[in-house]
Amino acid sequence: MLEAKAITKTYTVKQKQGWFKREKQQVHAVKGIDLTIEPGEIVGLLGLNGAGKTTTIKMLSTLLSPSSGTITIDGHDAVQDARYLKQMVNMIAGGERMLYFRLTGKENLAFFGRLYGLNGKELTARVNALIKLVELEDAQDLPVERYSKGMKQRLQIARGLLNQPHYLFLDEPTLGLDAPIAKQLRSIVKDLAMEQNKGVLLTSHYLEEVEELCDRVYIIDKGTVMMHDTPANIINTVVLDYRVIVTTAHLNETFKHDIIKTASTKQLSIEFYDTGDGTVWEVTASFDPTQVFLDIIMTHHQPIFKLEMKMPKLEDAILQLAKERSA
Amino acid sequence: MNWINGMWAEMVKSHQHNFHSKMIYLSLFFWPVLLFITSYFALKPFDLGSTSPIAEFFDPDDLMLFLLTGYLGYIFFWSLVQSAWQTSYERQTGTLELIFLTPVSRLAFVYGRAAGNLFEAVWLFSVFTVLMLVIVGGMQSIVWSALPLAFVILIVSAVIWGGFLNVVFLFSRDASFLFTILEEPMEFFAGIRLPVAAFPVWGKVIAYIFPLTFVLEMIRGLVVEGKSFTELLSPFAWLVGILSLLFLLTIILLNKAEKNAKETGNMVLF
Ligand SMILES: Nc1ncnc2c1ncn2[C@@H]1O[C@H](COP(=O)(O)OP(=O)(O)OP(=O)(O)O)[C@@H](O)[C@H]1O
Ligand SMILES: [Mg+2]
Repeated sequence: MLEAKAITKTYTVKQKQGWFKREKQQVHAVKGIDLTIEPGEIVGLLGLNGAGKTTTIKMLSTLLSPSSGTITIDGHDAVQDARYLKQMVNMIAGGERMLYFRLTGKENLAFFGRLYGLNGKELTARVNALIKLVELEDAQDLPVERYSKGMKQRLQIARGLLNQPHYLFLDEPTLGLDAPIAKQLRSIVKDLAMEQNKGVLLTSHYLEEVEELCDRVYIIDKGTVMMHDTPANIINTVVLDYRVIVTTAHLNETFKHDIIKTASTKQLSIEFYDTGDGTVWEVTASFDPTQVFLDIIMTHHQPIFKLEMKMPKLEDAILQLAKERSA
Repeated sequence: MNWINGMWAEMVKSHQHNFHSKMIYLSLFFWPVLLFITSYFALKPFDLGSTSPIAEFFDPDDLMLFLLTGYLGYIFFWSLVQSAWQTSYERQTGTLELIFLTPVSRLAFVYGRAAGNLFEAVWLFSVFTVLMLVIVGGMQSIVWSALPLAFVILIVSAVIWGGFLNVVFLFSRDASFLFTILEEPMEFFAGIRLPVAAFPVWGKVIAYIFPLTFVLEMIRGLVVEGKSFTELLSPFAWLVGILSLLFLLTIILLNKAEKNAKETGNMVLF
């Protein structure tokens, strides 16, 4: 198990003040985060820009040393036993950097493989297997500068698996990818956890991604954990308004009044808008109102022209949490 | 062994990265050749007979040989300044951070980089040097048996020098000033075109900062002047001293650079 206990990171930045004077400023990027990752599980790390996600991931990867707190993998300390940790973890960041553009995909992998101590037949076999895993066989001998974004990202994934890490940290791995390619990537990540029992930590700004993949989610804000739960539980506790929007034929005012009354006994609130297409009902509730609401419509024999569900998203949850916090 | 593996990785990559087109070889070849030719013809018009003041320091008949050895040494050392400078490219693309993500020996990386770039950059000029000697003559003044030793001294010194520069560029993202400091001054003060012995005292002091100065003294002594190794013990001792110092500094700075990067996250800043 990977365990981070009360880790903090304070950057000291020097700000120029004229020619010779420099003022030191402290940036508290991470202010005491506890987190765990078990083998085989996908854990999400969510937060608004600047929340401290990348800083946390870099501390877990040994690229940054925590200002305080400890990181261990099965009891091995990240600072004292950095070599061990480096064999056990790997990190993949989104975007198009972090590859040698003039080298081919294969050459890139061979280079990093050698840095992990692989050579000879073992290196060749590992590289070939990974190229196959990310389906880059046809492009393996092309220079990376001729790869598409999606291909570069897949090559990154292959690179991140060269040392067969037990824990993999993904920092916005689907950044800037088209939906179908992002989907392919997600399925690779899922397999890594399910079939190869790797522990995965994932940050993303695409919240559907986190909802789809993650077993647990940490929501962080300004360097601290605001909430830690399953995606579903987070939605249930935080999101208070479920909305269903329905269009029916035009209704008269007494009829509307009737319905609002019935609804309020069932803890639903309904608002009506008349449009050219008919009357639009906007139903809000603190629970999933679909069932109750459909009952009402049935008993009043209204044909439904259009039905739209606004399911709550983690994004709403985070925004909501951040709002409550700053209030 | 992991150490060799890491060094090899960096050598192969440097090759693949820098020598992706044949044009590179041409430019690598013509640049030093041009330098050499311009220096040769710039010195030629002067009185280089036995009455020349320079004759006090070396046999003017060996001018060609003197310049060739000078530029050979210079190309070895200068190519490593350039390769170190390219570290900033790795910083920008983020690959530097990925290298430090791995457990590879940092020292292997730093020397692999120096060695890889060295062999690429110098073999053509080395071939040119030999060709020139064959064509122009001067073969008879070469002590061929001393050549292997001279080459070993040149290569080992250049790699240690290059490793040190790599670390300096790792440590600071503003190290490009070194480029300016090292280009012209090194060409002049290391005694490539003029013998260091002919410098005034202050010039000598500067000259002895560059390990290249001692390397050239050794090479010319062994290969051109036919001195025995025991006659060259003094520059050799100096060279070993300077190289040991550079090696020590390399290890110290390397540790500091990584520690500093872990503290500030500057491995990705540029
Ligand atoms: N190397 C650094 N030196 C100084 N400050 C830094 C450094 N890296 C990050 N910071 C600061 O630390 C804070 C957290 O940054 P971090 O990159 O961890 O956020 P993030 O959650 O990854 O944000 P994003 O969603 O934008 O990627 C920010 O205020 C940032 O400006
Ligand atoms: Mg980030």
